[in-house]
Amino acid sequence: MKVQSAFYRDRIYPLLFMFLTTFFCILLTAGIHLTTLDRANANELSFARKAVLDAAGIAYVNTTAGIEEAYLKSIEEADGYFTTSSPDGKRFIIPLEGPGLWGTISLMVGFEEDLQTFAGVAIVSQNETPGLGARIEEPWFTTQFEGKQAPFTLVEEGTATAENEVDAITGATRTSEYFRNLANQASDAAKSIVGGE
Amino acid sequence: MAKNKVRKTFLEPLGKNNPVFVQILGICSTLAVTNKLQNTMVMTLGVMFTTALSSWTISLLRNHIPSRIRMMVETMVIATFVIIVDIVLKAFYPEMWKQLGPYVGLIITNCIVMGRVEAFALQNKPTLSLIDGLASGLGYAYVLLAIAFVRELLGTGSLWGYRILGSWWTNWSIMIMPPGGFFVLAILIWIIRETIMKETNHA
Repeated sequence: MKVQSAFYRDRIYPLLFMFLTTFFCILLTAGIHLTTLDRANANELSFARKAVLDAAGIAYVNTTAGIEEAYLKSIEEADGYFTTSSPDGKRFIIPLEGPGLWGTISLMVGFEEDLQTFAGVAIVSQNETPGLGARIEEPWFTTQFEGKQAPFTLVEEGTATAENEVDAITGATRTSEYFRNLANQASDAAKSIVGGE
Repeated sequence: MAKNKVRKTFLEPLGKNNPVFVQILGICSTLAVTNKLQNTMVMTLGVMFTTALSSWTISLLRNHIPSRIRMMVETMVIATFVIIVDIVLKAFYPEMWKQLGPYVGLIITNCIVMGRVEAFALQNKPTLSLIDGLASGLGYAYVLLAIAFVRELLGTGSLWGYRILGSWWTNWSIMIMPPGGFFVLAILIWIIRETIMKETNHA
């Protein structure tokens, strides 16, 4: 009898206890996860739409509702890319991905109808050094591509003047180079995605 | 007597038994998330929530947990609370969630949480453990916020994302990179130990 109770205390009880703890913990987290899932998905969608709008150069109110309204009004989804009609003609927005210094940089690039001239650039996700490479997300960096054509040349921060020059980020030379490479490939990528159109 | 103990439990982690500058715990996250005040605030709130509630939960269960599997149970409880923080951030503060990246999940491995559970919650009553956990979180929070204040101000010339210093200020980029965290933390620990701690040790 004593042997049996020791067996219960040392083997069965810890097992049962762990099983029950795990059960309740998973029940709790899974429950919270499921109740917030719709919201999390809506956020993801909103982030993606915001990037498309930024790349297309469309103004919007920066709230979930504002983004949705502007997106539904002016963006059309095509197979693997997006289009929008502006007074100056059609614009194409294509998703693009490539290596950065620490991880993948993924972005949305907007092109004018010729698929050569940049209309806008928006970062979807990046993993560059905070405060240095991560500054590729800042508007002063992304907007300088607007209206320009590849191939781009990097110059010191604050000195870009010529048509195909862009400012590099001080302290983030490598990230700037990776980003330039991505931007230089963007037009070819756009042509192959949009195809014969 | 009881009131005294509550007071002591609450004040110790804030001062002479501070988890960061006395016990040197939780240094990984101290270095990682202190380059912006906003991120630091959210991170420390997450840690406070986790230390307080996991200490409380473990203390409630303390007489039932078989001692040989207590670490597994502790980790499970801590992980549960951290995942709750992560899910809530993802759903309600997506911008913040994106910026903090993996660091919220890494609260699970924050030594302060496990340390307080092991050292305090297993021997004390739930309410007292809750206070201890909360105070440890607070002790962690104010040190981190102090570091973030220095780093964000010197590194970007702003506080809470708002520009404070004029355009004459040249950003010390090193401050918002990992080495900046080491510098500021080390200097802070040094100052506190040389001034405040020295007096209390002699007294």
